[in-house]
Amino acid sequence: MVKPQSTEKIPYEPAISRDEIMARLEDRALVILNVMPKETYADGHIPGSISLPVAEIEAKARALLANPVQEIAVYCAGPT
Amino acid sequence: MGYTNLRYYVGGMEDWIEHNGPVERSPAPVAARPVIVAPQPGGSRAFVWLEILASWPLERLIGFWLGMIVVFGVIYWLTGIGMGWGLQAGNVEVKPDLSGFATAIYFSFVTALSIGYGDVIPTGPLRILAVIEGIAGLLVFGCVISKLVSRRQEELTAEIHHTTFEDRLDRVRTNLHLVFSDLGSVQQLQAEQGVLPDQVRRRLESTVRVFRGELQTIHDLLYKSHVEPDEEALESLLANLAICLQSLVEISASRPAGNGQSAALEAGLRAIGNLAQEICGECVPRVYAPALKESMDQIQELARRLA
Repeated sequence: MVKPQSTEKIPYEPAISRDEIMARLEDRALVILNVMPKETYADGHIPGSISLPVAEIEAKARALLANPVQEIAVYCAGPT
Repeated sequence: MGYTNLRYYVGGMEDWIEHNGPVERSPAPVAARPVIVAPQPGGSRAFVWLEILASWPLERLIGFWLGMIVVFGVIYWLTGIGMGWGLQAGNVEVKPDLSGFATAIYFSFVTALSIGYGDVIPTGPLRILAVIEGIAGLLVFGCVISKLVSRRQEELTAEIHHTTFEDRLDRVRTNLHLVFSDLGSVQQLQAEQGVLPDQVRRRLESTVRVFRGELQTIHDLLYKSHVEPDEEALESLLANLAICLQSLVEISASRPAGNGQSAALEAGLRAIGNLAQEICGECVPRVYAPALKESMDQIQELARRLA
């Protein structure tokens, strides 16, 4: 899983495509996760996505996403 | 962290906007609610009722089992009255009267427990019913037995959880106390000398590190512990936390800015500030007594000042 300190080591695999996210916006089985800071999230995000800033992943992920097999799509600002 | 079904949308927001994806603007909720997971497809539908049965509490299971036996007994008895084919006891038809009812219930018990003495026997279509009752009786009774066995297991697990939990609380309390006395001596030195010598700063760094660890524990405790912390214990913990934060704020405020700042210290302070800001009466998932909420709010206030 993503460790907040080692952002550069995030493996970008497996990937999910824009089209798939677009098609599944209403699908509740897919959780779309915004890992940008709360302010950035407020400025605009994919509809229905939930906010979990990278810095808080370790502290809050368990409470927010209790199911380890939950289908999750993670995104941030851009391809950095 | 063990999520097995995680995928990355590499393009991110930039790519999304570029391709005219819909964008929503709303602040993130303060208290994050757990995501409600849609039921996963798959898993055999046929045995769902069996799982429901297994999830029932023991009392209800026993009640269901007894009820089932009585219902079957009544059916055996009624078919004897209405249709002429009923139970036979020693080649004699069981009569549709009160003693016949007793015999039917007796037969029902013998069948459900899969004893099958054979002194009373079903005839005709009742044989099918008896077999069905035998199967159902075995399943339900199996559930009852497994409940009885696992109950002790659950008690043990709960006990172990409780003990570990108490130990953890004790450790946090002790450490917070140490942190407080350490911070106190640092504060004193600071007041005497104005500037922190290297040695003292290193000590402050390590204290901050310990503090951060314990703060994380308290944070976890408030946010995701399965065990409900005792309010009294929590109160003393929060009070300790507040005084530690208070003296940290004071140290941080009277610290000379600019030269001689260590990055580790800064990072530690920032982490503490961020963590403690998430502790407030309204944002933790459980509801606590007003006094506790107040001290949580106080902690958040202190954390704001620290940040």
